[in-house]
Amino acid sequence: MKISPRRMRWLLIIGFLAVWELAPRITGVPPVLIPTLSLTLISGFEQMDVFVENFFVTVREVFAAILISCLLGVSIGAILGGNRFLSRAMLPLASSLYAVPLVILYPLFTVWLGIGAPSKIAFGAFFGVFPTMLATASGVATIPRQFRVLAYSYRLNLFQETVRVLIPATIPTVLNGLRLGGALAIVGVIVSEMLASTSGIGYLISYYRTLLETPLVFFAIVFVIVLVTAFDMAMRKLENLVKHWMPEKSDGSETLSLSAG
Amino acid sequence: MTIQIQPPLPGAIEVQNIGLKFGVLTALEHINLSVESGRFIAIVGPSGCGKSSLLQIMGGLSRPSSGTILCGGVPMNGPDPNRTGIVFQDSSLYPWLTAQKNVEFPLTVKGCSRREREEAAKEALALVGLAGFENKYPHQLSGGMKQRVSIARGLVQDPPILMMDEPFAALDEQTRIVMGDELLRVWARTKKTLVFVTHSLTEAVYLADEVIVMSGRPGKIIDRIQVDLPRPRRADMMSSPAFNDLRIRIWEQIETPRSEQ
Repeated sequence: MKISPRRMRWLLIIGFLAVWELAPRITGVPPVLIPTLSLTLISGFEQMDVFVENFFVTVREVFAAILISCLLGVSIGAILGGNRFLSRAMLPLASSLYAVPLVILYPLFTVWLGIGAPSKIAFGAFFGVFPTMLATASGVATIPRQFRVLAYSYRLNLFQETVRVLIPATIPTVLNGLRLGGALAIVGVIVSEMLASTSGIGYLISYYRTLLETPLVFFAIVFVIVLVTAFDMAMRKLENLVKHWMPEKSDGSETLSLSAG
Repeated sequence: MTIQIQPPLPGAIEVQNIGLKFGVLTALEHINLSVESGRFIAIVGPSGCGKSSLLQIMGGLSRPSSGTILCGGVPMNGPDPNRTGIVFQDSSLYPWLTAQKNVEFPLTVKGCSRREREEAAKEALALVGLAGFENKYPHQLSGGMKQRVSIARGLVQDPPILMMDEPFAALDEQTRIVMGDELLRVWARTKKTLVFVTHSLTEAVYLADEVIVMSGRPGKIIDRIQVDLPRPRRADMMSSPAFNDLRIRIWEQIETPRSEQ
């Protein structure tokens, strides 16, 4: 029988769930270390209202963080990418800052903004803004010269050139940046929830961990996966809007770029 | 005393004493050339002789350091798609637009009505043999087809002059020959003045009424060769003695300055 990649993917997921259910039973690992799938679901559903409430706290924060990092990242990136002097002066700086583990700055965010939603949103946005900015900058900087010569030859004014040439030409790289930036914004929000916070999925994870309620920790992790998958699907929808003129993108590269985030 | 002045035809080109300097480097020197309306001229020369720069200056895309270009008797002070259509070597189609929309592009930015531009673009695409491919995106077209779209775009505003900068350089040889014949057919039907820059001597002799031979450093016109092969040209002419004589005469001119260095 021939197995399509799609079927293979589902088989892997089902296989993973089966191992999750069976392996702890067979090996006798106690639930406090690795609870079975069924125990995780049963314990989780008992606390469903708590999870749903905190999930939507996280969703709102992630949404705001992505929105901010997208707006900031795209506009700063466009300015940097469009201006050779600025990009030469700033981009090396941005690239090296990018390598700093940003999480070391989180304590400062809590000092400035408290431990409520603002600090989590700001931190998530801060996490996400760099890749979005770098991708946009490189997208703008690498617009083929020929596109602009052509625009010049048809005497486009700056507004026409921006709308008809520069924006469409950078959409693919910007989308890549958003995918990376969005994934990192999710990381930022959840990490900040885990570090110092009173609500959100990340908060639940560290809260139940201190209570040694491992099945509930696992249940919270499932919610994080749901969130990430929803984000991935939303990005796919966006990418489909431009896919028809972009032949080179395949399913595989998208998954790779996500795992890089 | 009255002087009878014949107004120049819109397709006539006068290149008057063009010079181009980059700092101390002289790229073009004393270029004088006049092209009668409706003629097909090819410009050949070693790489770096400035033939593409000359074409860009003639098309108003870049400014000379000295001298004037008159197209249809009027100086070129910048690109003017109503007077000269320009066809570039490659990657000059916008990948996010269909063939139809790419051809419509010059009319769209000029603000022509939807009906007007759709009709003109359809007609131009049919002229280059691409009827039925209107809704394809560039990545769905072969290299030759993409260049046909570029040519259609160059023709869509019906300028009296068409300038082509190594338009077939990126194509394989068979496609090149086919495209050459296509171009001759289009030229015979539209009666435009055609300026064709190429590095292929065979192509130049096969297509043109007159071959302008340039030398490098500084770029100068060293010969103008009338090609008196009968029209319509046929591929078997390439093996005729007359054809070979012309080719060798050009080759010797291009080769000599190099061996003297």
